[in-house]
Amino acid sequence: MRPSRREFVKWVSASGIALSLSRLGSAEAAGLPPRASLPGREGWNPAANGAGRIDGVAKVTGAKLYASDFRASDLPGWPQSTSHAILVRAPDATHVYVGMDLARLSGALKPSVVVTAADLDKIGTRVPAFYTGDLFCPVGKTPIYMGQPVALLIFETFDTFDRARLALRYGTFVKFGEETGPVAIPNYGAYRFTRVAGATPDAPDVYSPVQAGWVSPGRSQISPLPVWSPLAKDTPAPYSKAAVHGEQIRSELAAKNSNLLMLDREFETQSVDPMFLEPEAGLAWYNSKSESLELVLGVQSPYEAAESIEHMLGKASAPFKPARINAQFTYVGGGFGGRDHTPFVLYVALAAMFFPGRPVRLAHDRYQQFQAGIKRHPFKMRSRIGVDRSTGKITAFAADHVLDGGGLANFSVNVATVAATAAIGIYDIPKVDVTTVVVHSRGVTAGSMRGYGTLQSMTALEVLIDEVAAALPLDPIEFRRRNALKPDGRTMCGNRYSVSVRTTEMLDKLEKHPIWQQRAQQKSAARPGTLVGTGLACVTKDYGAGADCSLGRVELSAEGKITIYCDHVEMGNGIGTALANRVAIHLGVVADEVSVARVDSYDVLGLVTSGDPYMMDQKTQDRAEKDPRWVPAISTATSASVGAHVGTHSAAEAARVIFRFGLWPAALELWNIAPNDPRAKDWAKAQWKDGQLVMSGLAALPLSALAAKAYARNLVTGAMAHSFSRWEWSRARFPFNGEQYRAEIDALAVRKGNGKFARIDRVSVRFPPAVNNQSGNTYTSMCGTLVRVEIERATGVLRIAKAYNVFECGRALVPEVVLGQAQGGFAMGVGYALLENLPPYEGGPGNGQWNLGQYLVARGSDLPLRDLEIEVLPPLTPDEPPKGMAEVVMVPVVPAILNAIFDATGRRFQSLPVTASLLKGVLA
Amino acid sequence: MTRLSITINGRAHGPTDVRDDLSMNDFLREYLGMTGTKFGCGAGQCLSCAVIVDNPDGTSFTSPTCVVSAVSFDGKVIRTVEGHAKNGELTTLQKAFIEHFSFQCGYCTAGFLNEGQVLLERLAKAPVARAELEKTIAEALDGHICRCTGYIKYHEAVRDVILADSKRYLVANQ
Amino acid sequence: MKSELRFKLVVSIFTVATSMLGGYAVSETAPQNLASPESFASIADTDARSAAMFTELGKVLTHPRCTNCHPATDRPRQGDESRLHQPPVARGIDGHGLPAMRCSICHQNANFEPGRMPGHPEWHLAPREMAWEGKTVAEICTQLKDPARNGGRKPEDLIHHIGEDTLVGWAWAPGAGRSPAPGTQKQAGALVEAWVKTGAACPAQ
Repeated sequence: MRPSRREFVKWVSASGIALSLSRLGSAEAAGLPPRASLPGREGWNPAANGAGRIDGVAKVTGAKLYASDFRASDLPGWPQSTSHAILVRAPDATHVYVGMDLARLSGALKPSVVVTAADLDKIGTRVPAFYTGDLFCPVGKTPIYMGQPVALLIFETFDTFDRARLALRYGTFVKFGEETGPVAIPNYGAYRFTRVAGATPDAPDVYSPVQAGWVSPGRSQISPLPVWSPLAKDTPAPYSKAAVHGEQIRSELAAKNSNLLMLDREFETQSVDPMFLEPEAGLAWYNSKSESLELVLGVQSPYEAAESIEHMLGKASAPFKPARINAQFTYVGGGFGGRDHTPFVLYVALAAMFFPGRPVRLAHDRYQQFQAGIKRHPFKMRSRIGVDRSTGKITAFAADHVLDGGGLANFSVNVATVAATAAIGIYDIPKVDVTTVVVHSRGVTAGSMRGYGTLQSMTALEVLIDEVAAALPLDPIEFRRRNALKPDGRTMCGNRYSVSVRTTEMLDKLEKHPIWQQRAQQKSAARPGTLVGTGLACVTKDYGAGADCSLGRVELSAEGKITIYCDHVEMGNGIGTALANRVAIHLGVVADEVSVARVDSYDVLGLVTSGDPYMMDQKTQDRAEKDPRWVPAISTATSASVGAHVGTHSAAEAARVIFRFGLWPAALELWNIAPNDPRAKDWAKAQWKDGQLVMSGLAALPLSALAAKAYARNLVTGAMAHSFSRWEWSRARFPFNGEQYRAEIDALAVRKGNGKFARIDRVSVRFPPAVNNQSGNTYTSMCGTLVRVEIERATGVLRIAKAYNVFECGRALVPEVVLGQAQGGFAMGVGYALLENLPPYEGGPGNGQWNLGQYLVARGSDLPLRDLEIEVLPPLTPDEPPKGMAEVVMVPVVPAILNAIFDATGRRFQSLPVTASLLKGVLA
Repeated sequence: MTRLSITINGRAHGPTDVRDDLSMNDFLREYLGMTGTKFGCGAGQCLSCAVIVDNPDGTSFTSPTCVVSAVSFDGKVIRTVEGHAKNGELTTLQKAFIEHFSFQCGYCTAGFLNEGQVLLERLAKAPVARAELEKTIAEALDGHICRCTGYIKYHEAVRDVILADSKRYLVANQ
Repeated sequence: MKSELRFKLVVSIFTVATSMLGGYAVSETAPQNLASPESFASIADTDARSAAMFTELGKVLTHPRCTNCHPATDRPRQGDESRLHQPPVARGIDGHGLPAMRCSICHQNANFEPGRMPGHPEWHLAPREMAWEGKTVAEICTQLKDPARNGGRKPEDLIHHIGEDTLVGWAWAPGAGRSPAPGTQKQAGALVEAWVKTGAACPAQ
């Protein structure tokens, strides 16, 4: 098979399957229609003048963009007709699964293929470690969670599928026998984060997670919960050390001390669904002649999806092991974390393998999406806080978190640790002890979702802080100010933030805002029958997952047109437009074409990887990096608010290389400046203005002229780069034209003139140290919210009268998208605080009967559409890098609403959501 | 099976025999390949699947397609998101959505576009007072769910189109 | 306090939800029966017999199939849990919805099972004065006899309305996923007729 003219990522996996995330020779024509992968190619590019998103035209004209839009007939080279699959799931997880009532699907409704656990056993599939658990519940076992698949039914035609799904809809198609109760599975993980600060701010910590590493307690044989005591049998020694400090902190909090205000509170959060609007869908075709598995998928983590499918089929017997897998990735209709590492893609691939030769579509309807889509973790939290009454300073904090992880581990452990290490929010507390455990349950699997555990832990915290301030009493903003972590202070992990910390500025903004200033006046002026209250909250949320990377490729045509490729996914976050704008900083013009979710296109970098970037020790990393093509990870998910900071970084660095080694020397020549002229090194002084390169005293040069010259002189016209961040960037040097070019990237290739891309091997590299893995967040963004609510006494109906959200995000790449994210985050916060709720088990979404009638998300009428003010603080310096903001903007909304409800009603709610009927209940 | 003839974006389809239990959404997406009309909830609750139905009397309304049969559209004239732009020229509302950054993921956009367009056409025939405008927009768009944006930029886009041509859409000031 | 103890409390909360939330969100409960007028023959007092028959009829009138569209506010309710209608809709001037969202757009001539959508050619809300939601059977009875609050009907007209009107009749054939009103429409009509003929007495409360 002849490779296409496009380069592509292709590698042969350990199992021998050639994995390609793009177009192989014969499939070159079978790519997604150009319009889908390259919005911006249309005549009008709204992003060019900052007048819109680069995908704007495609999205208002209904172009095929999303995985759910594609059928086989849309894909050149594929067979014309599409078959359809149903993933049958168990609505019960306390009884033995005994089989399906297939008799219901007789005659014209009969599926062409039925795939069950027994079939997978026969062919020898493997479950990727991340998804450990049976892909299908075998007959005779109790499902390990509600919604666990039991079978795939594949129907040749749409009509058969459409009628069959109606026949399966209600009741008893999936049959159960004896009651067993839920299946007991050990907890997914338990950690203890304990810090004891030194006697003075300058003194080293007595004990901290950064110094001592993260510690886990021993497991109990009889309980899903760990043994937290330092003295228990089998307690690991490192844990014991943390636990001794932790118990000391707890006993100090419990001791009688009249100068200490101690509050001990519980808080509980609910399960919710990300409710992205496009239910998960995928299309796959196993071409048995070429033994190629072709996939069209829409996920936040393309690279992971392809690898997991490869692992699943890697040891399968013939003819179920493809020789190659070719996956194409689309735009996604919302993600919010719920499409990051989703097991759904495994079933898409299985559908194709079991119906060879036929393209098969698997798509959730909304009921199925509720039944099986990744959820947000419900938390039970208990927090104790001690405050010195005379100084108003927090002296100690202890908390215990129990998370319900649902049926599969997924990201549970990560969510638990991120939540725990965010437990003290913006505050500086010298003694902290937080335990966390995430348990398995028969509920639907919980995983990544916007806020990633911090929404839960910081809501509990900010409600508690409000109560402390009232109890002292001290003005809530003054109390926060006294206790806010200073920019050079240490977090509860014992590290320092490496980015701007602007809490004080944020608190000042909140304090001066009219909503806050007028709170007493508004409260007393409440209309009869109405209660008015004002609340505030201020939080800080990390961005980045600790092992984030991006791939970027930028090409400049001889006419000066720019094309960008990036591996990150467009899920609404405007990554395409952000890329175009960030590259324009270096090349002066907004790109004509931006192709996202492209994990291909960087083959020439020849990247290799090994090990786990999150767990790796320093020695292993030092050894591995000697290979100039090695990186800790090749491509990671679009998640953790990394779109702007990480997603655009590699393309921006590639653009910088084009400027430095293509456009700048071209400009020198056009200006007749000799290479030995001192001005030849003044590239940093040149500026772009209206698409022209401007340098004082010299003629302005349009990009097209520079591009033409770069081509004529065989200068750099294209570059591709890889970057990796573990709370700091990898840095490397690349020998280039006799100099050592240094950049915050770890792999580089360039194209000169019309030539081909060629790799430049790095000559030295510094990857961020492995110890950063245990530092917790060092990248963080801050956000504060003010909310004024009006509650109708008789009905409990709550209206948000006014709201203000202030945050900072470094340099905003697309200010309108940043604003939109903040408005959307506010809406999601309102839903979480007041509306959204999924019962965890029986009666919950695992039963397959949930939809938007029961599950209420915020509509326009629930929101202060004309009374929400968003303020984005300008960057500290014009070149401050972009900071992640899409998660943090949602978080303070929730505690601010709860604090406003307290102000209005005198009632502190300790669980979510606070519905109108609950409010009505307490006001009656 | 029932015979279905329908005009979509000015083009006649059918007559063709379709199953009585086929939804209009599946007719558009699976039979015609017109996937600009989305599938969101399948229960008539998010309206991402809404299309415009044009009445013979010149009035129009939006209808979800997921909860109604294809055959109920027999003889009807409808418009979908694919049919707004003519010869590549976007409508005023389409441009306003883009310029206001109204959408993020874009999955709800077709529904909002259709609803907003019907509202504009309704107001052109029956203008409302400026004081009624916010309520009118809010009522018209409230059935549509958007999970990304918080709705504000959709409302702004519709409002701006109306205010930019207030003679057409609003009752003149007394 | 030792750390382990703290968790007993937390864990016990996790298990409570199980027992509280049995069954499915959309459940079809077993159809309820309606007693026939004859079965009240043993009640000698006419008023008492009449009132008892109305109380039996009350099983129908307070059923979600009826109260959901006889709402206390301008917004109908949905489902066996009588949750507020989604998307948000309002009665509008004529009870058929607002200009942007008319009932008949979704609720067409008949139930459409693939979309789980109930339908009838006349689908609309009962007028505001006929609100039953949240009322007792006795209150509904008084209301039903009040021409100002029953659509100007005489008690005899109610025999036809409840016993034969096809929109009312939908309550006994509401489609999958919704439990039908108790008994049959015919039985309900027979109860109304017997109630009217026994003087249309109302239960005490």
